[in-house]
Amino acid sequence: MSEPAQSNTVDYAALIQAVAAGRDRAAYAALFRHFAPRVKAWMLRAGTADTAAEELAQETLLMVWRKAGLFDPARAGAATWIFTIARNLRVDLLRRETHPSVLLADPSDLPDDPEPADRMLVALERDNRIRAALTTLSPEQAEVVRLAFFQDKPHAEIERDLGIPLGTVKSRLRLAMVRLRGLLGELA
Amino acid sequence: MITHHPSDPTVAAYAAGTLPEGLALVVATHLVACPHCRSLSYALDSVGGVMLEDLSPAAMAPDALDLALARSERPMPSPSVAPSANPELPPPLDRCSFGPWWRVGAGIRWRPLRIGGSAWAGLLQVAPGRSLPRHGHDGPELTCVLRGAFKDSDGRYTAGDVAEPESEDDHQPWVDGTEPCLCVIASEGMRLRGLLGLAQRLLGR
Repeated sequence: MSEPAQSNTVDYAALIQAVAAGRDRAAYAALFRHFAPRVKAWMLRAGTADTAAEELAQETLLMVWRKAGLFDPARAGAATWIFTIARNLRVDLLRRETHPSVLLADPSDLPDDPEPADRMLVALERDNRIRAALTTLSPEQAEVVRLAFFQDKPHAEIERDLGIPLGTVKSRLRLAMVRLRGLLGELA
Repeated sequence: MITHHPSDPTVAAYAAGTLPEGLALVVATHLVACPHCRSLSYALDSVGGVMLEDLSPAAMAPDALDLALARSERPMPSPSVAPSANPELPPPLDRCSFGPWWRVGAGIRWRPLRIGGSAWAGLLQVAPGRSLPRHGHDGPELTCVLRGAFKDSDGRYTAGDVAEPESEDDHQPWVDGTEPCLCVIASEGMRLRGLLGLAQRLLGR
């Protein structure tokens, strides 16, 4: 959890759009340097072995290169879009023997919701407000949310890890979600 | 009008990618139909993005960027558009692979979904007036109605609604109205009784 401030100075969404518009390799290199090590860190925290985490980070950024044209800054911020790609690749990896890519479709597979004319502002606002909301969660709520996202663990295992009852895990997650929902309500 | 939603922790586990495949499929089916839960799932994607952004970077291999640039030169594989195997079903079920329909009792048909992971899933079609198989819960269970309606002690469920029973008590919903009720159902530990329970055991689940 370091370097949050300096990363905000680079417009990664614009870099993705540069890749989409002109196959801009310099922009791609900048995206790779910033995001590949973070995707790898997420995979490692989720319990993926080092080689697989490195490969998943490579795959994620390759998808960023290939799917840059589908990136819509009005729908999601750069980090959010890349997170969904990384997550879906990881889910696919875990399910490769069966039928990959069906269940966790890209957000672009979901129906378009009517959004206000300043949709761009809304996506940016959402990311900023969610960042702010996460800092206002109680340490216990934040820990449950972090564990839910960082570890490939059902809630029952989080229960064992934290030594708190499953009901408490769920109620903390619920409280965290109520806060998020409240913020979304303000954005609507 | 959707009135029953999966619980917030379930949507969170879906967004984090940690929900077992069968349960994730039911949530995905609901998300396609429910703008309310879609907006929560987008918010949770943003949580993932914020967390990703704030992570301390892990060192990549020294030649990682060269490798990435070399890979980016390779021709893009032509996108494989999965044929819609079941056009009569809503997405993402239309792209899924199912086994054959099984008649598992008077007015009840069951069609298992071919999936991996710790949960099992399938389609259940129940005739009007019939009860869904009586069952208890020793693991999470999610049901999304595709057509028709059923009722249980928590209310009436129509297309798009999700039932996520919280208690471990035996649960026996019944089909409401004149139309058969078609649902997609997934569970990690549901114990079915009666004929469907037998089918469950025959199918090795």
